[in-house]
Amino acid sequence: MSAANPPTRPVPESAPYKVPSLGYRILMAGFRVVISFVVLIALPVAALAFVRSRGIPIPVPIEAVTAWGIVLIVLSAARYVLKPTAAYGPLSIAVSGVFLAYLYYLVLLSPYQFVLPGGTASIAAGYSLFLEALMIVPVMEIIAGVLTTIEDLAWPKERLPFDYPV
Amino acid sequence: MAALVVPTHRTPPGIYRAARALRWVAVILLVLALIFVATVAYSAYETAHATVESRSLSGVSVANGEIDISGSFSLTNPGIYPIQSLTFTAHVANDSGVPLTSAAVGPQTINAGSTGQFPITLLVPVNESGAAQSLLFKDQYLEIAAWANVTYAYFFPLAVTLTESRSWGAPFEGFTASAGTPTFSDGVVSAPVTIDWANHASFTEQGALTYTVDSASRMVCGSGSFPVNVPAGQPFNETEPVALSASCSPIGGEVLVGYTFDGSTTQFPPEPIP
Repeated sequence: MSAANPPTRPVPESAPYKVPSLGYRILMAGFRVVISFVVLIALPVAALAFVRSRGIPIPVPIEAVTAWGIVLIVLSAARYVLKPTAAYGPLSIAVSGVFLAYLYYLVLLSPYQFVLPGGTASIAAGYSLFLEALMIVPVMEIIAGVLTTIEDLAWPKERLPFDYPV
Repeated sequence: MAALVVPTHRTPPGIYRAARALRWVAVILLVLALIFVATVAYSAYETAHATVESRSLSGVSVANGEIDISGSFSLTNPGIYPIQSLTFTAHVANDSGVPLTSAAVGPQTINAGSTGQFPITLLVPVNESGAAQSLLFKDQYLEIAAWANVTYAYFFPLAVTLTESRSWGAPFEGFTASAGTPTFSDGVVSAPVTIDWANHASFTEQGALTYTVDSASRMVCGSGSFPVNVPAGQPFNETEPVALSASCSPIGGEVLVGYTFDGSTTQFPPEPIP
């Protein structure tokens, strides 16, 4: 190394950071799985089952909610465990892409049409506008995932001191 | 060697900061969206279970050639989001599906924590013969179809379709008007005119029935009137002699009856005299 060949970018290699062990990351991912399971599967399925128990058709199959939820939970857990690696960016894109596809799938099912027990009233409830607005969330996550992927390809491990500061 | 030391900076690179900012904004938006959905669900539940709807029928009357059914309904919105763009349309048809009348309300907004009152008036023209006129004389079932469209909490359009079948009690159920055989007495030709019906409507009929006895050539042979005060559910049956003009025979003619209430007259279809 010499002054004639300086680094083109100040890389904080000497910045202190500490990547948690794989076991710790798996443990924490497990906690996140529990929370994600409640939010993505347990609560929606309970709500759908409640509606169905009242004799009202449900807007989305319980099996579909469960399947989309499992895919999202598994990918999210993998992303968390692999956050110190170059797979983090692509996995972020994958998680957000699945989330985006999930929202699109739900949009296709809108409006939610059902007939109240007794048959005298039918209701059509639209929610596509809200879901379309919500799609901005995974789109932003995908862009963030692309940026992270580019960063990891161009400057591997550059982000680790900021992701895992001591 | 000092030149080989890579300067360490504690400010993250721009691309890292951009990605992190995007993730934070996305997470904040997602959390806000979840809170919004939860509050919308709670608010909608409250709205649906507090005072979903109250309906009142303020009056049914027959006047000016129309059956006037007026009422109102109210919607209470105890939730925390407004009910916007409320439109309500009702169509009434007879049991054969023939449209009789319709009414529309809106668009209106019911703000959070307030109640909206919506008057509805259904006017059914009954002066001309047809399906609508049968409402005067024939008990029947009416098919009521109503559509309500609203937007709840800015994002959620809701369309409600209600259909129900309601019995209709005719105010002049089984109405008949007949003229009997003319008789000659004390130099006067007269014929008994009998009018009867049952008031199956929900209101008391007041006013007068005026009638003419016409010849086959549509000359007026005689006329008269009955005062009317028939409570709901009661029958009316009156006979009175009417003096006929000389040389005017009601045979083959008809009895024309009009119901006068509140200064206006609703004409009934002619009853032929055999």
